[in-house]
Amino acid sequence: MECMISRTDDAEAELVVRAQAGDHRAFALLVGRYQDPVFRFVLRMCGIRDEAMDLTQDTFLKAYRALPAWRPEARFRTWLFQIAHNATLDVLRRRQRVEFVPFAEDAPEGAILEATDPAPTPEQALADRQRIVLLERALRELPAEQREVLLLREVEDMSYAEIAATLGIGEGTVKSRLARARVAALAHYRGHAGENRDE
Amino acid sequence: MNEHRPDMIELSAYFDGELDPARQRSVAAHLAACPACAAQFDLLRMLAADFERLPAETLGFDLAGVIEGRLAAAPRPQPRHDRGWRGLLPVSVGAAASVACGIAMGFALFGGAAAAPRVALMSVFDTMPPGSLCIGLESCYTNGAKR
Repeated sequence: MECMISRTDDAEAELVVRAQAGDHRAFALLVGRYQDPVFRFVLRMCGIRDEAMDLTQDTFLKAYRALPAWRPEARFRTWLFQIAHNATLDVLRRRQRVEFVPFAEDAPEGAILEATDPAPTPEQALADRQRIVLLERALRELPAEQREVLLLREVEDMSYAEIAATLGIGEGTVKSRLARARVAALAHYRGHAGENRDE
Repeated sequence: MNEHRPDMIELSAYFDGELDPARQRSVAAHLAACPACAAQFDLLRMLAADFERLPAETLGFDLAGVIEGRLAAAPRPQPRHDRGWRGLLPVSVGAAASVACGIAMGFALFGGAAAAPRVALMSVFDTMPPGSLCIGLESCYTNGAKR
């Protein structure tokens, strides 16, 4: 499996090198491979389809312009998501919708454990569709920095090292931020399920 | 059992397979014996399963084709190289040419051609107006008539 991943990476690196040499077709192949993952990520981050489409296109054009700076040591996907992440944050900052909720990365462990209820919860009884609606709602309401770390792990299946490189933070921070993001998402489930019961 | 109880950060990292092998094994052993932590772990599994069920959003068109078209019209990105003193050669040649040109123009203005404007200026104070027509004494014309 690892060997297969390595071969995929090599083939991809070859495409990037060709694109660096001015081969538009090679770059188009890379765009075709990553257009949906990048779009998915920026759409979940910014929440507006038209804006996400513009951001996706912008990401690839920025990537093309920055191609001379790409080095084979960097995985292309990580590098591309780094560009997408920065472009998205710029837009969110301009919209002043980004909410950097200050919280200590080293909060006491007990505080996290208290946030989830170990007992069986009513969510388990909800239909799948209802839970998806809740998850989408939770994602919209989470602070951007928790949302992005969850999306990169759960949707894009990135390792902690890859997430750290994409977001420009340490692996330890990824580890704790991801745990907090999961707790926050689960707390939203519980909160909204409670609201639904009250309705 | 409690002394090895994982916190949520560890449980989350265990779920992702990001703990070192020894800790990964000890958390697995703890989960097998602790219903409370196992319930927490199940919530993480449920959350991950829900993420998998999120609608797969797609862009809906071939961006590659659009980008390829735009790139064909755009200039190719150039790698940035440190070109050393050779890189400054065109700049220095241009600067030298500008200075030489400036000196030549200055010489032309204040050198050979400078005398003519001075004479024209002095003629204002001459008694004879341009064209040798005297607007003064009658004797001027008399003298001319004698000749």
